[in-house]
Amino acid sequence: MNKEERYDIVIIGAGHNGTTTAAYLAKCGLSVCLLEERPECGGAQETCEPIAGVRIQPHAIANYGGSAPGWEQLELWKYGFRMDWKAGAIVPFNTDRYMTTTDGLSKVTDKDKMGYAKITGLLTDPPFFKDLMRATFWCPPHPPHVELNENTIPFMQVYKQHQPDMWTRELLEWTMFDLMDEYLDTEPFKVNQAWIALVSGAHGHMEGAAIPALCSVATVMPPAVAMPVAPRGNIHGYYHALLRCAIAHGAVVRTCCPVEEIIIEHDRAVGVRLRDDATWGAKKIWANKAVISAVHIKPTFLEMIGPRHLDSGFLQRIKDLSLKGGSLYMTHYLTRERLRVRPKFQTPGYRYEDYGSFTGPFFPNDSRELYFENVTEVMGHQRNLTIPPERAMYGMVASETYAECHPQSTRPGVYINGPQWMLVPTPEYNVDGMDAMEDKVKWNEYMRKALSQVVENLDSDNIIQILGESPREQEFRNTGMLGGSWYGLRCDRDQWWNERPLPELARYRVPGIDGLYLSHQSSAHPGGLCLMAVGYNLMHILIEDGIAEPGDWWYASPWYIPEEGKISAIPNRPSSVSTR
Amino acid sequence: MKQKRELVGQPHPQCFFSEFPAESDWDAVIIGAGPNGLITAAYLARAGLRVAIVERRYEVGGGLATEEILYPGFYSNMHAIYHLMVDFMPAIKDFDMERHGLVWIKPNLQTAMVFGDGGSLLLTRMIEDTMDSFHKYSDKDAVAFGKLMRNWRRIVSEILAPATYIPAMPPIDLTVAMQRTDIGREMLELVEQSPLDIINNHFENDRIRAFLLYISCMWGLDPRETGIGFYVPLLIDRGMNKCYLHGGSHKLAGALSREIVRAGGTILESSDVIKINRHNGSVTGVELMEGRTLNSDVVISSLDPHTTFFDLMDKNKLPTDLKDSVERWKYDKWSFNTVHVVSKEAPHYACEDQWVDESFMTIFGFESTKQLLAHWDNVVAGKIDKNSLGGHATCESFLDSHLVRKPGHISFFQMHAPYGIDGGWDKRGPEIMEAMLAKWAKAAPNMKRENIVMAKQETPKDIEIRFPNMRRGSIKHGDYTPIQMGCFRPNEACSNHSTPIKGLYLCGASTYPGGLVLGGPGYLAANRVAEDLGVKKWWKPTKEMERYIKTYLT
Repeated sequence: MNKEERYDIVIIGAGHNGTTTAAYLAKCGLSVCLLEERPECGGAQETCEPIAGVRIQPHAIANYGGSAPGWEQLELWKYGFRMDWKAGAIVPFNTDRYMTTTDGLSKVTDKDKMGYAKITGLLTDPPFFKDLMRATFWCPPHPPHVELNENTIPFMQVYKQHQPDMWTRELLEWTMFDLMDEYLDTEPFKVNQAWIALVSGAHGHMEGAAIPALCSVATVMPPAVAMPVAPRGNIHGYYHALLRCAIAHGAVVRTCCPVEEIIIEHDRAVGVRLRDDATWGAKKIWANKAVISAVHIKPTFLEMIGPRHLDSGFLQRIKDLSLKGGSLYMTHYLTRERLRVRPKFQTPGYRYEDYGSFTGPFFPNDSRELYFENVTEVMGHQRNLTIPPERAMYGMVASETYAECHPQSTRPGVYINGPQWMLVPTPEYNVDGMDAMEDKVKWNEYMRKALSQVVENLDSDNIIQILGESPREQEFRNTGMLGGSWYGLRCDRDQWWNERPLPELARYRVPGIDGLYLSHQSSAHPGGLCLMAVGYNLMHILIEDGIAEPGDWWYASPWYIPEEGKISAIPNRPSSVSTR
Repeated sequence: MKQKRELVGQPHPQCFFSEFPAESDWDAVIIGAGPNGLITAAYLARAGLRVAIVERRYEVGGGLATEEILYPGFYSNMHAIYHLMVDFMPAIKDFDMERHGLVWIKPNLQTAMVFGDGGSLLLTRMIEDTMDSFHKYSDKDAVAFGKLMRNWRRIVSEILAPATYIPAMPPIDLTVAMQRTDIGREMLELVEQSPLDIINNHFENDRIRAFLLYISCMWGLDPRETGIGFYVPLLIDRGMNKCYLHGGSHKLAGALSREIVRAGGTILESSDVIKINRHNGSVTGVELMEGRTLNSDVVISSLDPHTTFFDLMDKNKLPTDLKDSVERWKYDKWSFNTVHVVSKEAPHYACEDQWVDESFMTIFGFESTKQLLAHWDNVVAGKIDKNSLGGHATCESFLDSHLVRKPGHISFFQMHAPYGIDGGWDKRGPEIMEAMLAKWAKAAPNMKRENIVMAKQETPKDIEIRFPNMRRGSIKHGDYTPIQMGCFRPNEACSNHSTPIKGLYLCGASTYPGGLVLGGPGYLAANRVAEDLGVKKWWKPTKEMERYIKTYLT
């Protein structure tokens, strides 16, 4: 039994970003070792079956990554990637859509739709939607020597080129509400979009976050993917294709292998030491070229490296990174019959008997005052919700909106409904204490009451069981989700692009430690959402450093600016592959 | 037959990316990614065939399942946890599982049985430690055990274990072959006895009898049936050599699936095969419910005979003999009912021998063979006597820290149980779970309510829902009876893993040599397909198999 092994690259953490990075680097011909502490790879891209025949997605659900270069570069279809296109899937612009408010349905107007189409790049011919998404998520932050302004920031370049009448310096200052007030019509639609942005990573009410917030919503909307947005096998099915791409190109994958320490010799990361109970004979894994931390930024620096190699000023700044923002309480409901929406929320053509008639509501979208009331409670007071459940905002994806031939419940006589999520205080900051949300009975009931505003048969006769999950539990099961945060760090102005997670770490490198790179949603632009983006962006840096030498399949981001004195990640070929 | 859905699976016209095509061509398609399907696929993929393996669940592995049923935060091994054949399984050597980071733990204290008066019996990897515990009840039995195991160990390692990975032989040929050696003849004598006879003939103490009878029959032997006696030495010897796969049983499935992918094979989960296509009597591929077609002249099914021949094919177009034999197929006589728990403390048994707490498996609830037989008779009759039940328990977190994501211990208590219980599982489930927890608390007094954080029951009905091909909760895809074993598993026409239908092969637990993660059917099916297609085998028989072939077959 070998006590030590050696690879070109050692990646810590087989969540979405670590695995994307493994797939890219293995495809470059490097020997890659991917280490995962849990019994199963996938991180937040997971499916579980807590009750026979009832499958749930405890974290990521939707495929936000439809615009990723990874589909082409990693050819995931070869490894079994499939979506569940619901028969008759449609884009929203040619059909009636409604938002739910306390008073009932609010119709999304033509002005809403046209405005939305304009700002997301769907009105031009050809559309620039994919360019906008790629500019926002799939481009590494510029090198420090580049001044950031309306001419250099990638999404600004896209607007300037494709929709010049929208291009204004103010786009960099606006909140998402400012942007929507300029181009959209109805308040409930705006509130809905802002709330989806809030739980997807970028807080729509924060200044300067307008375009990142818009894109975090738009990337999960058509036409990037048609409704529903679930891959076959759900989000874990998408993950399987990604992992198998890495394996097919030779990556070695090990589960139950927690890393205790990143070994640093002469200011260079040279390998990792596994925890004593790791399920592998090898206890030290050496890296010839790079160690890549695809686990949360806090344990990376505070536990795996520590003060022996880092100064206390730097460590304090890592400690200070805010975990606030993405902590969600989540419920699934097992019921005896399909959920039925109350009459005032029934859209024209609603037929209770039809498969998929229950699509999850986002409620209540009344007004931004209500939105801010919820945000203030959670972020400001940092306390357990005291808002009555009737006014608490939540979102829900109904399991039946997946394809009928891919049911989430195969248990006879049982419907699975959910997930339903609500933004709640991050345990680490909760004034009521870390375990304040652990009274599951209480919070399940709160969630049930909130959902009952829209659903009329969510009562004890119908409910078999409520499966609830608190942020604290999410953190336990998935250490990449410290604070139960679904996107690591929120994408506010201080933690977005060149500032994420700290300015000196924004280019995925660690100053002062050679051969160490960052590839976690909490440590790298653009953060969360299973976009295959951190891995793609990191590739530019690894090419610059001479570590990765991709083949003809590689293309760099069109907005990428090489760092002076480094190798350019732009392929030196007569005609690089088009990104369109 | 299930309906294929139109449109589903077709990429959306405005989608930016490619998906797996609606129609694709393969050298071999394997239905079902349990241990055997994965093994067949891994051997054939490395042999150079373009292989697709299709799995209905969202995850590969079948019974090699380590799942977060004590949600959130705690993983449990849902089925296969006691790996009996790690010492002999060719796939473990051929794919060099150590290279995959697989670590098997073989504790010395394998099985304990605890009694109401604080007494206990131990079965250990080291024969002498078992004898020590038998001395407490019978010096004669302790000596008999030591003597018996010396021969039985040879019967297992030289005959039964290697034969697991060699095609089934007709009984008459087997009888002739076994005449060649002393241990062969001894094995033949055992065949004709029932497990109960064998145990009673060799041992006098009733507790020792009950202990060894449980170990011999726990995987589904009828204690009173003759013709299957060779299983007694096999299951006692293997019961002394059970291995736990560190990190959970699913790691074996993960390693096999990586072998498939590394060799260019494709795994499609969440895909329901609804039809095996045929043209002019030969198979041409399979249809998936999502609307995709996989074309292949070779289809290898790991499913039970009913599913393969009746659900996925037109049963009226089958040869009459085959149809009749499939109709006669009998599922397992009993299934398992399992209570999985999270507790603050690990179970601490009320037992004078404190070593028992470290046992890989702990049997309790039975004080005598009579009580044990009564429980099994009840189960076969569709009943559970709440006042007199028993089974075996394992504390997984004692061996494996990785299954636990929050502070606490995970354990399970598993009991033989009928699929078709009087009154139905929906109605009876809760009271039976209470009775099991009460029984557990009696054997291990700290397993009381205040210690148990979470408890979840998986009934035989749940087994079928979670693993649709464990029909009627049949963990082995079909009963172990003389007419469903050896070259009769699943029937004479199919026991060599090919079928009367051209291009259709079988590789599951319903074929020789059976279930229990032996890895036998998958290995034998891969050999069979490779031979039929003229594919060069990259693997060689193990040295135990070679010695067996040399001694008995040449």
